[in-house]
Amino acid sequence: MNLRVLAAAVVFAPAAIALPADAARPQARAAGGSVGIAEREFRISVYRRTVAPGTVRFNVRNFGEDVHDFAVVTRGGRIVRQTQAIAAGTTRTLPVRLGAGVYRLICTTADHDARGMHARIRVGR
Amino acid sequence: MAWTEAHVERLFWRAGFGATRAEAERFAKAGRAAAIAHVVDGPGNGPLLAGPAPRNDGKRLNPANEWGDDVLWWLDRMVRSRYPLQEKMTLFWHDHFATSDQDTPLMLRQNQLFRRNALGSFRTLLRGVGNDPAMQMFLSLADSDKDAPNENFARELMELFGLGSGYTEEDIRQAARALTGFESHWDDSGFLGITFNPERHDGGVKRIFGQSGRFMPADVLDLVMAHPRHAPFLVSKLWSFFITAPPPGAAVSSLARVYRGSGLQIKPVVRAILGHPALYSRLGAPDMVKAPVVYVAGSMRQTGTFVTDGAPVWMMEGMGQELFSPPSVAGWDWGPAWMSSNAMRVRFDWANHLLRHGGLNVADDTGDPVLTPDQALAAALAAAGRPHVSGTALTKLRTLAVTARRGLPDGDDKWEVRERVERATMLQRSLRHLLISGPDGQLH
Repeated sequence: MNLRVLAAAVVFAPAAIALPADAARPQARAAGGSVGIAEREFRISVYRRTVAPGTVRFNVRNFGEDVHDFAVVTRGGRIVRQTQAIAAGTTRTLPVRLGAGVYRLICTTADHDARGMHARIRVGR
Repeated sequence: MAWTEAHVERLFWRAGFGATRAEAERFAKAGRAAAIAHVVDGPGNGPLLAGPAPRNDGKRLNPANEWGDDVLWWLDRMVRSRYPLQEKMTLFWHDHFATSDQDTPLMLRQNQLFRRNALGSFRTLLRGVGNDPAMQMFLSLADSDKDAPNENFARELMELFGLGSGYTEEDIRQAARALTGFESHWDDSGFLGITFNPERHDGGVKRIFGQSGRFMPADVLDLVMAHPRHAPFLVSKLWSFFITAPPPGAAVSSLARVYRGSGLQIKPVVRAILGHPALYSRLGAPDMVKAPVVYVAGSMRQTGTFVTDGAPVWMMEGMGQELFSPPSVAGWDWGPAWMSSNAMRVRFDWANHLLRHGGLNVADDTGDPVLTPDQALAAALAAAGRPHVSGTALTKLRTLAVTARRGLPDGDDKWEVRERVERATMLQRSLRHLLISGPDGQLH
């Protein structure tokens, strides 16, 4: 197989992560919304990178083997809200009212943030 | 071979999620060839989905971001598709290439890969699976490099995906070397994609199945598909998805010839299996246990019920089948393993759910006390989509209908009329429930 062709075939930008054609897509003008989050050692994946201001429901699933938590943090480092511990293989929903801006999403457990468990989400229209 | 409504029902259940009464009548008249062609080739023109769009408590589905909406999204396709075999085969591949614990958007993307290639070329499908991010990360194909080749994907490629037997541990090790070089990419919001990095690929000579070469990842897939064990392995697994009896040796040889002769196309093999007399054995005594999702989707189709809430998600999980989360790389245990005591209780609860919220609903005080036992049973059968019911079960249901009338007051006082209506309502609910939840309802 031509390597360049293969590489082109397997690379896909985040925007190209295909939702089913008849699925609801992020509503740019809707207030808040739901955001899927995956946690594992030592990464956080955010299924939507932008969400409208309002009440945002973070639906967090711990795919890892360790216990994690999930926190929404302002750029200034203030924790807006965080979950309790999320055991391996379990889920938590964290509703947070967020204004426009960029927020860090982190795991506050031990040194997990420093080891890579952090992500960003933009809140805006 | 004679061709009756019972044949159509068997075909439509095994290849999909059941037949409506109208379908059974239409395709019994149309004949065997037309019925199989309709099932295998699909409806042709027109929208693929029929019926109201799915909702979860009034909201549109958001499969990537809302709990369970991914499962509801797929279940809805099974319920509304006019090409049910496509969804059934998507389920087959989901089990065959079982992947779990990956990001929901990637699992949805993989599901689309299975659907797109459900009945097409196995070569195209396997190459798609080999490049699929969810699979690559599940079996550590991503980031397996020449300094530390990971054997997970190579092992399952041979054991579960392509051969079953006829290979050695050394073949796995050499294939793992040839499969190195994929590299995952991430940024501060998660996964970006996977590329092939020649610098991380082992470019040396490998020896696999007795052949030597500087094999690349796609070459490994081709070597597996060219292996003499591949065709018998895959057609046998396909057979077992549709037919409970093990495939006779002659059938395996014949199906393998069809598969090889078509250039590794799936559709001709499935067409041949669906036309095999073994599929239609014991029409009066079905012996294949409905998988939970088949039971749920089938009963929804039977009763004209659509996706409106999240109950199917947790109920199917309680029955032992959580879509997008198979228990291991080997997939689910099918057959009688579905019938644990707890799973059967949840199947019973599912019939309750259909009675309360679905197409089986009987509103309070709407029972017709004038109906004879036979008429009451006929009404319940119609509401439940006229499912298969054995003679024994019919006799017992009729006995229930007769018994329900015993001891009823026959006067015209208000309380007497009300009691007769209430009893008729309860009888109708009981009959409908038992038609879905009883032993016959669990088999197809």
